[in-house]
Amino acid sequence: MLSRIAESLFWLARYIERAEDTARILDVNYHMLLEQSQQSYRLRWAPLIVMAGEQNLFRELYGEANAENVFEFLAFCQDNPSSIVQCISKARENARTIRDRISREMWEDINGLYYMMARFHPPDEVAAGPHRFCDRIKFGAHRFHGVTDATLPHDEGWEFLRIGWSLERAEMTARLVDVQYHNLLEELPVAGAAPDNHQWMAVLRSVGAYEAYHRQYHSTIEPEKVVEMLILHPQHPRSIRFSATEVQAGLRAVSGTGTGSYANEAERLTGKVLERLRYDKVGEIFKQGLHEYLSDLQRMCRAIGEDIARTYFYYAVVA
Amino acid sequence: MSAAPSQELRRGLFDGYDTGGFYDEMFSAPGCPRPHYSKLLDKLSAMAPEHFEERRKLADLSFLIQGITFTVYSDGQGTERLFPFDLIPRILAHSEWERIERGLAQRVMALNLFLQDVYGRQLLFKDRVIPRALVYSCPHFRREVIGVEVARGIYTHICGIDLVRDSKTGDFCVLEDNVRTPSGISYVLENRLVMTRVLPDAFQACEVLPVNHYPAELSRILRSLSPRSEDDAQIVLLTPGIHNSAYFEHSFLAQQMGIELVEGRDLIVDGGVVYTKTIRGLNRVDVIYRRVDDEFLDSLTFRPESLLGVPGLMGAYRAGNVALANAVGNGAADDKGIYTFVPSFIRYYLAEEPILNSVETYLCAKPDDLAYVLEHLPELVVKAVGESGGYGMLMGPAASQAKIEEFRDLIRRNPGNYIAQPVVPLSRVPSYDSASGRVAGRHVDLRPYCLYDGKKVTIVPGGLTRVALQRGSLVVNSSQGGGSKDTWVLRGEN
Repeated sequence: MLSRIAESLFWLARYIERAEDTARILDVNYHMLLEQSQQSYRLRWAPLIVMAGEQNLFRELYGEANAENVFEFLAFCQDNPSSIVQCISKARENARTIRDRISREMWEDINGLYYMMARFHPPDEVAAGPHRFCDRIKFGAHRFHGVTDATLPHDEGWEFLRIGWSLERAEMTARLVDVQYHNLLEELPVAGAAPDNHQWMAVLRSVGAYEAYHRQYHSTIEPEKVVEMLILHPQHPRSIRFSATEVQAGLRAVSGTGTGSYANEAERLTGKVLERLRYDKVGEIFKQGLHEYLSDLQRMCRAIGEDIARTYFYYAVVA
Repeated sequence: MSAAPSQELRRGLFDGYDTGGFYDEMFSAPGCPRPHYSKLLDKLSAMAPEHFEERRKLADLSFLIQGITFTVYSDGQGTERLFPFDLIPRILAHSEWERIERGLAQRVMALNLFLQDVYGRQLLFKDRVIPRALVYSCPHFRREVIGVEVARGIYTHICGIDLVRDSKTGDFCVLEDNVRTPSGISYVLENRLVMTRVLPDAFQACEVLPVNHYPAELSRILRSLSPRSEDDAQIVLLTPGIHNSAYFEHSFLAQQMGIELVEGRDLIVDGGVVYTKTIRGLNRVDVIYRRVDDEFLDSLTFRPESLLGVPGLMGAYRAGNVALANAVGNGAADDKGIYTFVPSFIRYYLAEEPILNSVETYLCAKPDDLAYVLEHLPELVVKAVGESGGYGMLMGPAASQAKIEEFRDLIRRNPGNYIAQPVVPLSRVPSYDSASGRVAGRHVDLRPYCLYDGKKVTIVPGGLTRVALQRGSLVVNSSQGGGSKDTWVLRGEN
């Protein structure tokens, strides 16, 4: 497979995943805050900009964060390189350069998603609130996964897609937990007040893990268990551990490496991350500091991405 | 057959249809369909305009979702556009097509022999078939490939030859040859696919010859060019990239043939051999179906600033380590100044009389012709010899006085760069006019695609019918607002 094609597949998958995860984050924040006081509703949008890592750009464009402008920025802003419209548009550009290598169904699906985006009228959506829009994006991403799974041969190309979306999902879930946990801790100053379970429910819903949580724990919502579910759960498809396992499986399928060894730096780092996710207990994570733990995971994800590029995408000029 | 449909017509899509004094492909006289169109007309006449409009929208949507678009460069930045598709097909009777096919095959063989000769023994100059200076001064003539032995002696693997039917005579004639990197075949194949989905009953009733063997035939020819064994020949399609106006076609053909679509940056030349850069190292390439123009192919031989090609590619080509289709230097054969000599090539190389006529052409390089052209500019079509795609052209009867003066000046300054032809009154085919919701006559041309394997010429029945969708317009190029139609060659008579 051409290096350029592998790279386009990898990024195609990452952009679709990023669009979906951004939609999830927007949607959860919206629902979480619906049940809050008016004042809290206004204040709680700024962390999303922090999560996207675009504080400076946002301040330049909008100034103070509120429900409307954060939604607009994360969903529609053409100047925000990670906005949902930008992600979908870049995913389509990547698909277009390799449309001879993906299935016709995949191309038509992603092209359809692109034209659906173009039909949204941002002011109307902003007025209506993020739910309807985010739902369409989530559905679009799910359909893309389904179409891909059902129509593309599960060969090397498919592995690069899998690596792309799993790596992106691991990093985005780490960000989501990090920001929301921080957000919720600040809610607790009222001494002795019971922690507000509604907000944790919203976090679970944002990753589609609400029902799974109840099946797993048969208990009320507890922050530690929610965190455990999102970081350490071996089977939930949006947990960091599950995503990292997928990255490892994809990398090994490409290189043909067996368990217990590694063929390149990306595989070595993925293995290291997985060791921790497999054997750490949630109590240990909290002891060590959740924020530090999650920041470290995000750093590792970025390093893995860079090593994948060095190993498979970039070509040193042959002398 | 004539009375019944014409009754229907008055109420339907063909309400008030006027042939306008041109040769009409569907009607021999108002209300009187040609026999090979009668079945289609029955089907269309039975259709309510709203129903037709519905089918038309379905076709448009299908093109949009599939991303069958092309890029227009006129405002400095490329814009992605749908290539307008007209639902009413252009139909050719079987006997007429057979004659066209013979004429095209003859022409392709002669052009190939001409290129072999020009870049080989050059007997044609000794025999005074054409002045050497005329060939050597063509903008796309390539000195660099004189003496290069091309695989199996084939230069013109793929030719798109533009035909028009002259309303005055009712006969087809050749308007121009495209033997460098002709595009459009993907529209032939996609138009057909959409057509069979949107108007299946009409299609079935007419018994149309299939076209979808084109990719397999092209693939067979490319494979036969491999310098190594045909079985493990690595074939790639070289595209300038996603911003090229024909990018859709490049990826479409690569996919249909199951070959790798590559850009210049995916290839590397090492030790006179071309390789692709893969995730597992370098992989040797044997045949390149290139859709990059000669001058961008190799920055070491041609334009040094080109990033679209592969440095060192021409060295690998000369050494016979890689085959290119089409060959380098083909622009000497489809130059608009060489065009007038093609009938002489047919007589010289094949000892046959040309089957297809040419359009009368004035070479501004000749003083007599130049004087005539300058005097008659408002009646003529002027074309720059090295250009294609409708760029660098003056349409005399439709042009403003200022535009005519601009060309007068251009021609005077560089007469060798221009040719002129009388305006051919192109035949018309009924086409849907969305403004009126009815059918109106629109001018068309025809570009059949010819594949040459060194022995015989294969042509998929029909080709691309381009249609000037603007009322009265004679310019069919997609870059100038033209659209296309599916082209049906019928299985037998009627």
